[in-house]
Amino acid sequence: MRLHTEGNFEGFGMDTITLAGPLEAKLKAMREAGFTQVMLKANDLVGHPGGLDAAVQAVKDSGLRGTGFQVLRDFEGLSGHLHHYKVDIAKSMLEMCAALGCTVLLACSSTSRHATQDLDLIARDLRKLAMLAVPLGIRIAYEGLSWGHTVNEFTTAWDVVCRADCPNLGVGIDSFHVLAAKTPLSEIDYLDPSKIFLVQLADFLWQDTPTFEERMATARTMRVFPGEGVHSEQVVELVLRLDKLGYRGDYSFEVFNDDFLNLPLPTVAERARKSALWLAEDVLKRSVPLPGQMRLKAMAG
Amino acid sequence: MSDLLLNTPDPREPLQASFSDAANPLGLDGIEFIEYATSKPQALGQVLEMMGFRPIARHRSREILLYRQGGLNIVVNAHAADAPGANQEVPQISAIALRARDARAAYNYVLERGAWAVPTHAEVMELNIPAIHGAGGSRIYFVDRYKEFSIYGVDFVPIPSVEQHPAATAGIHFFGVVQYIGPGRSNDWIEFYRELFGTELIPDDLRFGIMPKGTLLRTPALDATQRFMLQLVEPEPHVLDTGEKLQRIGLGVPDVLAAVQALRALGVEFVETAAAHTERRGAITKTYLGSVVFELVHSAQE
Repeated sequence: MRLHTEGNFEGFGMDTITLAGPLEAKLKAMREAGFTQVMLKANDLVGHPGGLDAAVQAVKDSGLRGTGFQVLRDFEGLSGHLHHYKVDIAKSMLEMCAALGCTVLLACSSTSRHATQDLDLIARDLRKLAMLAVPLGIRIAYEGLSWGHTVNEFTTAWDVVCRADCPNLGVGIDSFHVLAAKTPLSEIDYLDPSKIFLVQLADFLWQDTPTFEERMATARTMRVFPGEGVHSEQVVELVLRLDKLGYRGDYSFEVFNDDFLNLPLPTVAERARKSALWLAEDVLKRSVPLPGQMRLKAMAG
Repeated sequence: MSDLLLNTPDPREPLQASFSDAANPLGLDGIEFIEYATSKPQALGQVLEMMGFRPIARHRSREILLYRQGGLNIVVNAHAADAPGANQEVPQISAIALRARDARAAYNYVLERGAWAVPTHAEVMELNIPAIHGAGGSRIYFVDRYKEFSIYGVDFVPIPSVEQHPAATAGIHFFGVVQYIGPGRSNDWIEFYRELFGTELIPDDLRFGIMPKGTLLRTPALDATQRFMLQLVEPEPHVLDTGEKLQRIGLGVPDVLAAVQALRALGVEFVETAAAHTERRGAITKTYLGSVVFELVHSAQE
């Protein structure tokens, strides 16, 4: 097994969505590629043949730290019974997130036409979500999907987070959505680094994705790891701007790719490792571990 | 501005104090009871009796005992099914019951703002007291029958021939509750209590008692003497125990030294070290049963 000491990319992790197969096999492939953290998704747990508890135990046994838990969709801006339905869904997501010991829940901006476009009402709902998360010790990372109905750029997501003004509510940045929506990267400089709770990285193979439909199709099937796509320069600029701003949190690879789901897990994990090494060593020049960063002991064998 | 507006001659009625519901949205009015959960209720009962409490009533259907002195009620819950922690020997503070103007309205108000409802298990003819999740698996109850009626009259049976309203030892009253929180979590909890209960932040230079660490919040109350403190304490850096829980009860007394003397006579031991010792401002008992601590704080209100 490879040790992560062969290159310091502790700040980077893979998402379970990138790999096919059972949860245990995914965790094993990530660990063997030298990763120390994993971004988990809800159906890793609920789809586990041994049930929720067995899935949680598998994650604990893997020695990997949970980067976060995804994803709560279409939560904000609804009213009446739709709102109460979504609150119930959110509570279940929060409980699963807490069971895994993850401290970040990713919430994506709503794509629903039934949701209000009033940013203050959206902020009010996110504030409620954040309050629900307080007793469980969870932070909410609010991410603007590039096909979101009202919030489809991180700049608007940031506006909403500021309006909600809640200590455990921040933004999640996904490079795919930033690049797809062509949001100017200079806007990153206006964020508060302590309110960026998660950064997800991915590139893709098309130059342009002008329509929501194209963005959706690309985002769900044709993402690649940073360094493998056609926007490497922008990905580098995004990561460097975040680093310069003072962001020292986690980066996870949110790579949805239909081809990767048909490749052996070690092959895909190796691509992720190359990408992480490139970002950590060549782009961010992290030759030594960051001070105060959590270190996991390498597993025996 | 015209002087006439400032000096209205002979007002028909005396000027009312400025008051708004915004400052106390739930109509909170202090603590009705604090609940401990433990599988060793008699051991805890002994500690409570040393502190001047008297067992006065038993629950009708569950293994729950009510202790009282003066205006303080403490419930000891050994019924594992309805109190998280009741199957553990080490007692823990499992709930705080808050007096509110209208329990149902208060409950709906906090649920609308992101509180978690806790399912209650009232038996036939028992009160269905609404509850939400608090810190570290504890609960916060809302009670509005505390004036003409009492909740204890419904759910509890008085222990025969026991004085139902034993006087407080040395003027003891509720002062506050200390909550241990995770690292970096102060702002989360400050916002939680402000949003749901309308607590106000006490400036850092204002502290009470001998244990000043952390953040102080004060709940609003319809009757100003019923306000109480919540003290949020984060762990020291690099401390492994990062769990969250309600750690201890703060009791107000008009004269700390006299109260310490009275409680020592009952058998209570106080911590006397260089870091924490009895003085006029406050005192702290030793830790009983692995977790039970009481802090005394100088506080004139009765």
